Amino acid sequence: MHSKQDKKLKLLWFQGVTCNGNTHSFLNLPNIEQLLENFEILYHPILPSIYSLEEILKLEENCDLFLFEGTYDPLMQHNGVELSKIVDYYTKHATHVISVGTCASFGGMFKATAPERNSGLIFNEEESFGPLLEQKQKVINLSGCPVHPEWLSYTLSMIVSDKEVEVDELHRPIELYSNLAHHGCTRNEYFEWKVDVDNFGEKEGCLFYKQGCRAPMTHASCNKILWNEVSSKTRVGTPCFGCTEPDFPRTDMFSTKTNMSIPQDTPLGVPKRSYLTLTGIAKTFHIKRLEGKLIDYKTTR
Amino acid sequence: MITKQLVDKIEGEASLYFELEDEKVSFATVSFPHTRGMELMLEGKNALDALVITPRVCGICGHAHLMATVRAIEDAYKNAGYEIHLSEKVELLREFTLVMEMVQNHFKWMYLTIIPALSKLTNSSQELTPLKGAFAASIATKAIATFAGQWPHSSYMIPGGVTADPTNIDILKAQSYLSELKTFFEKESLGVSLEDFLAFDSCNDFTKLSSDVGALNEALLKTDMHIKGFADDTFIVLGEHTFTEVTKLKHTRHIGVQHKYVSTEPSYSPHEKTYAKNALYKDAYYETGPLARSLSNNFAIIKNIHRRYKDSAYSRVMARVFELASLIQHASSLLKKLDIADTSFTKSVDISKINARGVGVVEAPRGPLMHTIDIENGVIKKYSIITPTQWNIGSSHKEKPTPAQRAMIGLTKEEANFVFRTFDVCSVCTTH
Amino acid sequence: MARVSKEERKSGIISAALKLFSQKGFYVTTIPDIAEKVGMSVGNFYNYFTSKDLLAKELVLYISQYLGDKIRAINESDDSSEIKIQKIVTMYFDMATEKPEMIEYFLRVYLSNREVFGEGCEGMTCVSPFITEMMIFFSDGVESGELHNQDFFSAFGLFMGYLGGMVFLFGEKILPDPLEEYKESISLNIYNALKTR
Repeated sequence: MHSKQDKKLKLLWFQGVTCNGNTHSFLNLPNIEQLLENFEILYHPILPSIYSLEEILKLEENCDLFLFEGTYDPLMQHNGVELSKIVDYYTKHATHVISVGTCASFGGMFKATAPERNSGLIFNEEESFGPLLEQKQKVINLSGCPVHPEWLSYTLSMIVSDKEVEVDELHRPIELYSNLAHHGCTRNEYFEWKVDVDNFGEKEGCLFYKQGCRAPMTHASCNKILWNEVSSKTRVGTPCFGCTEPDFPRTDMFSTKTNMSIPQDTPLGVPKRSYLTLTGIAKTFHIKRLEGKLIDYKTTR
Repeated sequence: MITKQLVDKIEGEASLYFELEDEKVSFATVSFPHTRGMELMLEGKNALDALVITPRVCGICGHAHLMATVRAIEDAYKNAGYEIHLSEKVELLREFTLVMEMVQNHFKWMYLTIIPALSKLTNSSQELTPLKGAFAASIATKAIATFAGQWPHSSYMIPGGVTADPTNIDILKAQSYLSELKTFFEKESLGVSLEDFLAFDSCNDFTKLSSDVGALNEALLKTDMHIKGFADDTFIVLGEHTFTEVTKLKHTRHIGVQHKYVSTEPSYSPHEKTYAKNALYKDAYYETGPLARSLSNNFAIIKNIHRRYKDSAYSRVMARVFELASLIQHASSLLKKLDIADTSFTKSVDISKINARGVGVVEAPRGPLMHTIDIENGVIKKYSIITPTQWNIGSSHKEKPTPAQRAMIGLTKEEANFVFRTFDVCSVCTTH
Repeated sequence: MARVSKEERKSGIISAALKLFSQKGFYVTTIPDIAEKVGMSVGNFYNYFTSKDLLAKELVLYISQYLGDKIRAINESDDSSEIKIQKIVTMYFDMATEKPEMIEYFLRVYLSNREVFGEGCEGMTCVSPFITEMMIFFSDGVESGELHNQDFFSAFGLFMGYLGGMVFLFGEKILPDPLEEYKESISLNIYNALKTR
């Protein structure tokens, strides 16, 4: 008879070109202890692991789950072993491969380190490309810069309970990425009535018109499953930079790209004509409540 | 004979090359084999994009990078003739979230790095509790996210202020996370109240603790870390904050500093390609981080430790533990000063009007972090980053060892590996 | 006599009203005048429009929709922005020549009697179809790299203000030549003013 110990899935977390942001984001997970009880951690960049990096690089052990963080650079070496060999070896035996973060999913921030060869595991931005094309059915992309700990926890839990994770065309779990970052934003009413804002540092106003907010075009559940269980970028007045999408990082991220004052990109799936019709009309209504301050603190000084 | 040791779990990897004589390290060099070319990546981008890109230098101290960037851009505004005056609220919020990032760092370092490393060195069978560090850090990052939206990789600091416009509800929430953290720290790490711990004035007081910190103290003494791991006993603190004293120290003597004297040189790494550069002040190396900050702040207990054990590995470790305690208390005082009616953002001219250089210096968890930005019509012409680990873990020639190189001399390989980690190495920051 | 549908009746009122309003002015024209022109009783008229103000608003919507449809067809073609400008100018001048009451109404009634178009016709509400298509025209032009990126109203004012001015001069019989003669030079002027520099 097998003991409970034997049933644990063997998890290997390996890094390509990275900042460690996903590693640290994952450590924020409230139920990390319970979740990790399901796994035998062969290697993790921070957490105690069964093997040292040196041992892992001998390519002798097998894992069930291969978690990859960072951009894939085939020529990168860890202690003299090429990353292409490492990825090739461990993914061959793994039943599941998870690209943790946007770098591993689409190339992300560190595609720029060596743009001619760096990519994600099965995508180079939106184009099908990378070392695991032949076994792409194994790959789940958890884009996000960084990944949200709950998104990774969801995916790992589904795998542990042997449930299938349905994914979109970019291999992202639909339960996590069918939402837009816009959903649940506390500034939604300002978007509905097209009330923009000139300055940062205000509770009022939508950041889509001037500050470059990508939330209406970005697949992510940031305003549904809050960050650190507390907040989100848009809730604290920072525009969404679209970090879960293949084109992250874009340029001029703090301003909205407009053509003759008209936003170049309209909310996902909304034709420009419909959007402009609605906007033109909504903008003509000057709604006092939405144009004023939500709270006017009396200055005590 | 040269022996290579691969060091991991230091926010990336490094290779140590030991020259051994009678099983003791007579000299060591350090190589950092990976880089991401972040300075080059920034060139040609809108200067404001740096606020999104530089936090991605590092997963554990990205917030410090954000603050260094925002300070550098604001300095460029000033040098271009458009000085921005920040409100007190902005200064307090930025300071608070920066401090909380240090707190999460120190917790992780204590439970995920130094206690396990020490346990390995002593072959201890004591069960490890690494997730205590992750748990405490997650509370600290909740407090950050309350104002900054998320951690890691927030971009809520912008030239002129912060994007957030918090309410008293947010402040109360941050306070409650802070008190949760304090309770956890007292119960799980210290074994005494934070106030009692901060009132310690002699390292003998640590021996009274029967707690994680007490055990750490004991294990350090048992492994002779109080007489091992000495660097050059020179320190530098460059980031101006409410919790620092900008200075350079030779032993305990304070000497004024100006960041314009900071420079870098290529690392000496004869056995492997390294992407690291050493940081220097007027051509000399300095130790940075909690020990440097605590001595510059004249913390009684750290001065007491330093008097006895100089800049040993023991002093370095305990200074970080003590700094953790003092920062938790400091963070609470910052929140109390927040005036909610104060402005969050002061608008200035558009970035496209800026043609200037700016320098931003902050104290990151491991020491001074310096960003220099050259802006032409709002676009980044050149960007340079000098990180704390470049100070502590430089790699130089035998005649002029860096703090970490000096600290490893005379130790066994295993001890040297431990001492190396007492500097709280950040590989990703070093080469960025 | 063939039975006239309600819709046809309604468009009859619209076209009669347009003519009267633009010839006599909004305030001088009365409902009996309009009813008489379409050959219906005043009582029956009220079955179609309950007030003169409401009719006035309906007329703006009607014109805006008409212009919007025309420009939309131009926008949806594969033409360059330069050709689209020629087509919009041609369409506008043809309309001013063939259906002068439409442009006249827009310039003389809608723009001159703003108090009538308050509630229900605020800002762009009643001219939305037309403005939306102009927005699409400008933003497509910038996106394709043909037009210089600038503030929408700076560009819109230049384009439509220019055309409106010419139609006004034409209506006042000040123009020495028919509008037709000006299409080419005006299209070129507009293009030169808007193109990427």
